[in-house]
Amino acid sequence: MRALAISALLMSIAMPELAQNARYQPDSDWQAPATAASRDNPLASKPELAAGGKKLFSRNCVECHGPEGTGMESKHSADLQLPIVQQQSDGTLFWKITNGNAKRGMPSFRKIPELQRWQIVLYIRTLKPPKSPSEN
Amino acid sequence: MRPISLTCVTLLLLFCSSVRAQESPFFITYTHYMEEPGNLDFEFSTTNGIPRSGQQSYVAPYMEFEYGVTARWTSEVYLEGQSTIGDSTVFTGWRWENRYKLFSREHRINPVLYLEYENVNEASRIQKEIEGGGPDLVSSNSALNGPRSHELEGKLILSSNYRDWNIAENFTLAKNFSESEGIEFGYAFGVSRPLSSLASARECRFCRENFVVGAEVYGGLGSTLDFGASGAAHYFAPVLSWTVSDNSTLRISPGVGLTHEASPVLIRFGFTYEIRGFGERVSKLFGRRT
Repeated sequence: MRALAISALLMSIAMPELAQNARYQPDSDWQAPATAASRDNPLASKPELAAGGKKLFSRNCVECHGPEGTGMESKHSADLQLPIVQQQSDGTLFWKITNGNAKRGMPSFRKIPELQRWQIVLYIRTLKPPKSPSEN
Repeated sequence: MRPISLTCVTLLLLFCSSVRAQESPFFITYTHYMEEPGNLDFEFSTTNGIPRSGQQSYVAPYMEFEYGVTARWTSEVYLEGQSTIGDSTVFTGWRWENRYKLFSREHRINPVLYLEYENVNEASRIQKEIEGGGPDLVSSNSALNGPRSHELEGKLILSSNYRDWNIAENFTLAKNFSESEGIEFGYAFGVSRPLSSLASARECRFCRENFVVGAEVYGGLGSTLDFGASGAAHYFAPVLSWTVSDNSTLRISPGVGLTHEASPVLIRFGFTYEIRGFGERVSKLFGRRT
């Protein structure tokens, strides 16, 4: 009985959180400088590298943004599929990954090598909301 | 399934469902990389000293619990011990350290303030930093394993990135409130970089991107009573970290003593588990609404 109780406790810690944050609103103070926002993705001509970006995303981003990048309301994390995110430039996304936003609990990912951060941007571009039945 | 097996399977699930760990390869030098908020790192490390003649080999293991309180504040608790060949094994004390990143954005130089309370005795040999002249490697444990002293230690951590290189400088000062030994000083410098700039698509253990290499130099700078680098222990140590799996990292550092006060060889090993979202899940257990 005691082992079952310990197991239940550990399972509740280990279980991944499933949620999404479709009501995400960006932090208006979290703006990339113009020079950073205008940077092009040096890997834009190599879309095949998005697969490596997916691996990096699952290692570093899924915890808060979820496996589909839909975000989590409890963590105030962005739904990366939303147009409000997808319309941002590659340079802006890169800058946000690099600097983080401590106010909303997003850490800086400067420790990931630069080209790998660009790979994550490539992968974020592949995140699209599932098509509705009427679109099919 | 027997209850004990169920617990083992659950423990396995707990660790397998944990995440990413791209740890800094350094043992001594701190960078401005903070623990992600809500994540818990559990680390087991050892400092292994190969002595000069007349001294005994020792192994100084320590456990470290590192928690990301916020995106800019990381807190850690250490428990440490020491075992000397032909002598004894002793518990040498505990430490509580806090690091606070001053700026929320990335800059050319990123300063971090560090404050640590130490409750350790003179037998401590983990050498997480060298202050003053360094630890006493000659006296026996029975002579050193006395009452634990109260010590405060501060560090200024400066850390920069150039391309994929990280360059970090640490300046240490420590005050032992149980002894009249003035304020002690120390330093550490480190450089590191990953072996690969790009991530491959496949999951792999031995991909170059899973390895970070570097080197660090660290030592003591005496105290307010006797300031200077001479008469203190100094080391040069190559470092290597290997991200073994998404949730674990192995580190090794074979250090070389540069002065007579240092052990000729100081080999360090470290193994880290990271448990993501630990804080949130624990708080949910206690009924916090999300």
